[in-house]
This record gives sequence, C-alpha cells and structure tokens, in this order.
Amino acid sequence: MSDLAIGTTGFVVLLVLIGLRMPIGVGMLMVGALGYALIAGTTALLSFFKTQMYWQFTSFDFSVLPLFLLMGNFAARAGITSALFRAVNSWMGHFRGGIAMAAIGGCAVFGTVTGSSLACAAMMGQVALPELRRYNYAPGFATGALAAGGTLGILIPPSIILIIYAIMVEGNIVALFQAAFAPGIIAMLGYMAAIAIVVRVDPKAGPAGPHASAAERWAATRDVWPILVIFGIVMGGIYSGAFTPTEGAGIGALGTFLMAVTYGGMRWDGFIQALSETAVTAGMIYLILLGANVFNAFLGFSQLPTWGAELFQHSGLPPYAVLLGMILLYLVLGCIMDSLSMILITIPIFWPIVAALDFGLQPDDLKLWYGIIILMVAEIGLITPPVGLNVFVINSLAKDVPMFETFRGVAPFLMSDFVRVTLVVLLPPLSLWLPYALK
Amino acid sequence: MAEARAEGRRPSNAFGRLLVGIARALGLFGGFLTFSMAIIVTVSVAGRYFFSAPIQGDYDIVGIIAGCAAFSFLPICQLKRSNVLVDVFTSRAPVRARAALDAFANLCFLLIAVFATWRLIYGGIDMYRHSEVIAAFNFYRWYTFPFDIACMLVLIVAIAYTLAQDASDIWTGRPRESTAVGGGE
Repeated sequence: MSDLAIGTTGFVVLLVLIGLRMPIGVGMLMVGALGYALIAGTTALLSFFKTQMYWQFTSFDFSVLPLFLLMGNFAARAGITSALFRAVNSWMGHFRGGIAMAAIGGCAVFGTVTGSSLACAAMMGQVALPELRRYNYAPGFATGALAAGGTLGILIPPSIILIIYAIMVEGNIVALFQAAFAPGIIAMLGYMAAIAIVVRVDPKAGPAGPHASAAERWAATRDVWPILVIFGIVMGGIYSGAFTPTEGAGIGALGTFLMAVTYGGMRWDGFIQALSETAVTAGMIYLILLGANVFNAFLGFSQLPTWGAELFQHSGLPPYAVLLGMILLYLVLGCIMDSLSMILITIPIFWPIVAALDFGLQPDDLKLWYGIIILMVAEIGLITPPVGLNVFVINSLAKDVPMFETFRGVAPFLMSDFVRVTLVVLLPPLSLWLPYALK
Repeated sequence: MAEARAEGRRPSNAFGRLLVGIARALGLFGGFLTFSMAIIVTVSVAGRYFFSAPIQGDYDIVGIIAGCAAFSFLPICQLKRSNVLVDVFTSRAPVRARAALDAFANLCFLLIAVFATWRLIYGGIDMYRHSEVIAAFNFYRWYTFPFDIACMLVLIVAIAYTLAQDASDIWTGRPRESTAVGGGE
C-alpha cells in the first residue's frame, strides 16, 4: 500500500470511528499513531511519543487557551450580563423589537470577554427571556434571537476556535483577532436588522418596550464600565501589540476575577467551581489538540494534503467554486459535529488546498480571510437542526417553547448569517482592513 | 452533533469515590495553576511597563506551569465523560449497543494512554540524562515529569474505571442519562 493510500484509508477509518461514538480526540490519536507507525516505522513512533505530549502541553502559546477559558468562567460569575442588557435596553427597548435587539447588543459586548457561545446564550438568556416574555414577544422569535445572539460570543474575539485555527495554520493570532472584529460587528448589526425586518412584517412578534429617560440611560450605561475597562485593556493591549495574546488572556482572567468578586459576589465556592469548569473544558480541548497533532503528523507523512492541494490546483475548477463547496460541506458537518472538532479534522486537508488556489490575496491575508470565513460558517452549526447546541441551551431555559418553534425563530437570523458570509467572501477587505490599519 | 458522554454516574463504591476525589483534586490543582499563570503574567507585564523589570524567564515559567496543568486536567475530564463525540448516528441505538461502542472507544483510549505513559517515562529519563535545563532560572526540565507521569497513571486508572462502567452497562442494559456539553463553543 502506498503512503497516500494509507493516508486516505486512515482518514476514512477516522470518520467511521467518529460516526460510531468514538471521542474525536481518541480517534485521531489512535488512527494517527497507527498510521504514523505504518509509514514512518515503529521506532520513529516510539521516539515521537517520548516528548510530543510534553512539548505540546508545555508551550507558552498554548497556555492562552486555559487562560481565556478561565477568563470566560469568571466573567460568567461577574453578574455583568444583567447590567449589560439593562444598559442596551435603555437605549433601544422602546423600538419595536428593541428588547430583542438589546439582547443581541448585550451578547455582542459580553462576547468581548468570553470565547464561548454556549455561555453567552445561557447568560443572556437568563436575563433577557423574562423581559421578552413580559412584553409579549412571540415565543419562538424570542428564543431564536437569543440562540443566534449567543453565537456572537465566539464570533467576537477572544475566540477559542480562532486560536486553534491560528495554531494549525501557523497564523498570527493577533491579526486573526483583528480580522474578526469588523465581521463580528457586522454580525451584530445583521442580527438587529433581521429583528427589524421580522417586526416590520409582523408587529405583534416584538412589541415596543417603555421609553427610558436620559438620566436612566446614563445611569444604566455607567453600570457596565467594568466590562468596558477589561475589554479596553485586554483587546486594546492585544490589538496594539502592547502584549501577547497569552498575556492579555492572563490579565483578562485576573480582571474578570476581580469583577466577579466585587461586582458579581463570587465567593470561595464560585471560585472553586470556575476553576473546576476550566479544568474539564481545558482537558477536553487538550485531548483533541493532542489527537490532532498526532493525526496531522501522520497525514503529513502520507502526503495526502499535498496531493489534495495539487489535485485541486490542476483541476481547473474556479477557486470560488471550491470555496463554495467547502462552505456547503461545513454547513452539513456543522449539523452533526461541534465546530472545534470539525475545524481540527478538516483544516489539515482544506488549508493546503485553499493556499494552492489563487484568490488574488497574499498568503498571510489569505490565512486571515479564510479563517474568518471558516469561523462564521462553523458557528452556523450551533443554531441549525437537528442539534444546534445554542438552541438546546435556550430551550432548557424556556421549556414551554417547543424546540421546533425556536428553530423556526432562528430562520431570519440564519438568513442574516448567509448574507454576512457572502459579504465576507466577496469583500476580503472587510476582514483585512483592521489588521492593515493597525500594522 | 458532538456531545459529551453521558456524565459519569455517582460512583457506587469506595474505590470509585476515591478515584473521583483524586481526579477532582488534580483538576482543581490544575485550575489553581492556571490562576497562578494569570497572576504571573499580569505581574510580569506590569513590571515590564511600569518598572522596566519583567519577571525573568516568565514565558518559560508559564509554559512549565501550563504543561503541568494540562496533564492534571485529563483524568477528571475522562471520569466526567466530557470528551466530545458525535452521537447523531447512534443516539437511537439500543443501550447495550451504545455501551459496547463506548467500551471499544475506552479500550482504545486505554491502550493509547498506557503507550503514551510508557514513552513519557523514557522521555523524562532522556531529559534527565541530557540535563536539559531552562537557563533563566536554572530549572531542569525533568523536574515536572514525575508529576506528569503521575497524572497519566491516574488517567489510566480513570479510563479503566469508565471501561468497567461500560462493561457493566452492556451486562445490565441500564439506560444512561446524557448531558450535552459543547466543544470549543
């Protein structure tokens, strides 16, 4: 069997095992190790495993992951979501659909301190759902808006998925965070526009709330200063290059810790809980990363990625048609798999293909642009049937709303997602201007 | 959708309780290590900007701590069955079939973990023999290997324990509760 055949077989076996409930990290580790031994020999595998785990874990660049997770877990205990929602609501609540828009705006701001969509949806859902009900919003519309708003948690940096993408394609995390900024804002505006259109068609879906006085507005806005300070320091510092992403994450974790203690009333129990949650999530991510590392070493030996890239390069297919095919595949995969695993499995094959095609971009710019597209497309899986996790989270908060209603309520936001993906694909400067402006 | 494994049941015997206690303590220790990284990083950045005196070798210190933390996270993650998997195709399969698939996956994981630990021990011995050292604060790299290996040994026991749970599920055919936890979302 040729190396290429071993590589292809390994990839297929991995997909089958994953379909049969094997944890993705375990599957990649096992297939990767066996394939590695078949191609490079047992001696090479024995020596590879001596230290690869140690070096992968003992890396300053990787330490950004647990730190951002810790930051998000403290932020979730900072009691800030309610203040955020009140602040945005005081400015927008009196519009038709305004309370739902306020939830979206709150999600966007909360997204600047968390890299987790599920946390974002859950936290904002707890605060905004009671208000949306009080003003008689259509149930599916309200839950759909919150499920969609949750995805802003990961679209707006910091974003665990972007960090992992950066590690995989050896890209620049800082530039990727910069590139994600404008598309993140567009996502927020797009969701608000979707709400505006829905209430124009059906005014009863989202009645207007009460008017807040100017004094109330300023009072509510003043309450959110801690989160703005943390965002300013962490993202400002990372964007401007004053410190590295790991340093920013560490400072952010300490900042949200202080906020949780002073503002959110976090005590010893909450602190211990935040640390334990970080441990479980980080353990899960580390195992997948370990598997991806071994599996990618095997794929590299098999030459499968190079072969795939050459195949597409000489196929004469228009680059944008290939990209469209990938996006459609991600949409399908997103229905059955979580975005992290999906990206770890596909990027080693897809990135060399994209890099070999001519999109009229510099290689570094291509990395940024493709990363942002993948991030957005992968997140769509969080709100699509059959198993959109954000929808599940919101539905556990609103048990009386049938799941079907929420998926229907998500539809306008999906439209908004598709429009945004199209925009970002057709207009690379949307993602690239900020990295260039800050260079 | 990738979903976490059915959350580990409350252990019914003393051994299980002890194991969960150890794994939980290890995970918490890793959490404290992560928190200490945040403090070190912040102090170092503050020192760099305000006093032009960063902590010497701060990147190496954080890397070393992060490495220990990563190893300490693994056992509790396994016991809570939080490793992401796709269960869309098997969610309607009979309990016994799912338990059998889980048992197979855990058996594979067990073999890999034993293999990785065996190699890690030799990796540590290499580090010791070559006296690999972080010069900035005279720290020999093998120092952390005993801890890393200990974490791996706990992980091996944890995998074996979950494998035994799966085996008993095949035997009894008892349905398990499932709690969804996302991947990197």
